[in-house]
Amino acid sequence: MDLSINFEKVDYIYQPNTPFAHQALNQVSFSLPDESYTAIIGHTGSGKSTLVQHLNGLLKPTHGRLMVQEQMITPQTTNKELSDLRRQVGVVFQFPEAQLFEETVLRDIAFAPKNFGIDEEKAAQLAKEAAEAVRLPDSVLDKSPFELSGGQMRRVAIAGILVMKPKVLVLDEPTAGLDPKGHQEIMELFARLKSQQHLTVILVSHQMDDVAEYADQVLVMEQGKLLTQQTPQQLFSQVEWLNKHHLGLPHATKFAFEIEKKSTFKFSPLPLTVSQLANQLANFLPKGVSQDE
Amino acid sequence: MNKILLGRYLPGSSLIHRLDPRAKLLLSFYFIIIIFLANNWSSYFLLFFFMALTILLAKIKIGFFWKGVRPLIWLILFTVVLQIFFSTGGTVYWHWGILSVTSTGLVSGIYVFCRFVLIIFMSTLLTLTTPPLEIAGAMESLLKPLKKVHFPVYEVSLMLSIALRFVPTLMDEALKIMNAQRSRGVNFDQGSLMQRLKAVVPLLIPLFVSAFNRAEDLATAMEARGYHGGEGRTKYRVHQWLYHDTLSCLAFLALTIGMLLLRNW
Ligand SMILES: Nc1ncnc2c1ncn2[C@@H]1O[C@H](COP(=O)(O)OP(=O)(O)OP(=O)(O)O)[C@@H](O)[C@H]1O
Ligand SMILES: [Mg+2]
Repeated sequence: MDLSINFEKVDYIYQPNTPFAHQALNQVSFSLPDESYTAIIGHTGSGKSTLVQHLNGLLKPTHGRLMVQEQMITPQTTNKELSDLRRQVGVVFQFPEAQLFEETVLRDIAFAPKNFGIDEEKAAQLAKEAAEAVRLPDSVLDKSPFELSGGQMRRVAIAGILVMKPKVLVLDEPTAGLDPKGHQEIMELFARLKSQQHLTVILVSHQMDDVAEYADQVLVMEQGKLLTQQTPQQLFSQVEWLNKHHLGLPHATKFAFEIEKKSTFKFSPLPLTVSQLANQLANFLPKGVSQDE
Repeated sequence: MNKILLGRYLPGSSLIHRLDPRAKLLLSFYFIIIIFLANNWSSYFLLFFFMALTILLAKIKIGFFWKGVRPLIWLILFTVVLQIFFSTGGTVYWHWGILSVTSTGLVSGIYVFCRFVLIIFMSTLLTLTTPPLEIAGAMESLLKPLKKVHFPVYEVSLMLSIALRFVPTLMDEALKIMNAQRSRGVNFDQGSLMQRLKAVVPLLIPLFVSAFNRAEDLATAMEARGYHGGEGRTKYRVHQWLYHDTLSCLAFLALTIGMLLLRNW
């Protein structure tokens, strides 16, 4: 498997050489294979957003270097060299609706391809496809993005990134502030896109349920340092370690641990999602047809 | 982005930090007036000596003060050069049309430079040692007498403090939006002037939208907490005129007397 992303001892210091200097990343090294789905977790202020802003060169390391999609980024890399990378790496920021500005939804979605030199007509075509992918109804495409509901604005903003057809999709808490239904729809959308378009996905999240459900590996950040890189299965079985670092468990796993504590029941493997939990429990419960079937 | 912030507060607990902001504000203005009393080497020397003393008391590295000078250096040099070429008197070193370099010119050029540096140093000292909100508070309490002539003191100072309070917030916001638009292929620092102007639109519109939203939220939050204008409002930070404030006024009095004695009449 090819490496999509490789960090080598990346340091990032905000406002270096001032009394406000703050080291937000400290010797971060890791690598992620192509087409992986990686979750980044950690407390607020642990450096997650700083880390992901390196992925399309918005921030350049203060020391160290990184490789994204064959593009090397060092402290000396110039913005000119990064234009191609920005096209390949789509970043959906926290509260991305802050990026909306055009007169109509369609024009806003088409903004990125136009910047990358695609002509008006083709850009509009791509925008329509992206709007469809995020399930925006046709009726809103000619409206002003500022007339939409919060959830719809979020979709427009996400479509505005997907329209570039990136190879790597970086999601910084993409569903913060959405209702549960919107949350689920958006998360499923990303999972579907990943398998259809063979994307490498990086998700910053505080929701352990999402980490368990979608990610195949997890990076844990604490105070600018990378603590560990593990699979969700490994990570969520170390309750004590998680407690020590004030990290939570997925609901299903928490429930499983509670059951194990209060009975002789043993789960194997440890369930991470509600459906895994239900499957294992169902095997032990008396079989039968429920009344409403 | 951070270069734009000319003056900014450096937290500390030095004597200068602890002075009453009203005293600091008035005395800084007073110092700038005093500077214009200086007209010979010894009076400038006294001013620099006094400045150095206050900087020492504030326990701030001199580098921060030069940073205040740097953005204005071209303006300063321009003025100095004008001063040198257009003054007359003393020994003439060089002469062409109405332009001439004379000994008086050179000296007054240096004086102008010193004045600029002193003014910038003092105002930098004020902003480095006083949080913006305290400066706004001090202005409010100094402007209070103007209420007699129906000047809206409370409103103006509230506007000032809200504006100051939201400068860093809006800077953060602008940075975030710039990053989001960069990710969509906008190039803010390359291309022709026209391209760059066009690149500002996707930054400014979201910034205005968010500023308006913020303003609305803030108004709601203030009303929800019972804000009803300045009348009868008490203050969280009460200014107290203390011993060291009187002392610093005395120091300025001494400086004034020294200046009056040293300058050429
Ligand atoms: N522009 C900036 N200037 C100075 N310091 C910053 C800046 N942005 C972030 N920081 C600091 O860097 C650290 C890491 O910030 P970062 O935004 O990466 O955290 P995070 O893990 O994404 O947190 P959250 O979960 O709240 O989004 C924080 O301590 C923050 O205060
Ligand atoms: Mg963040």
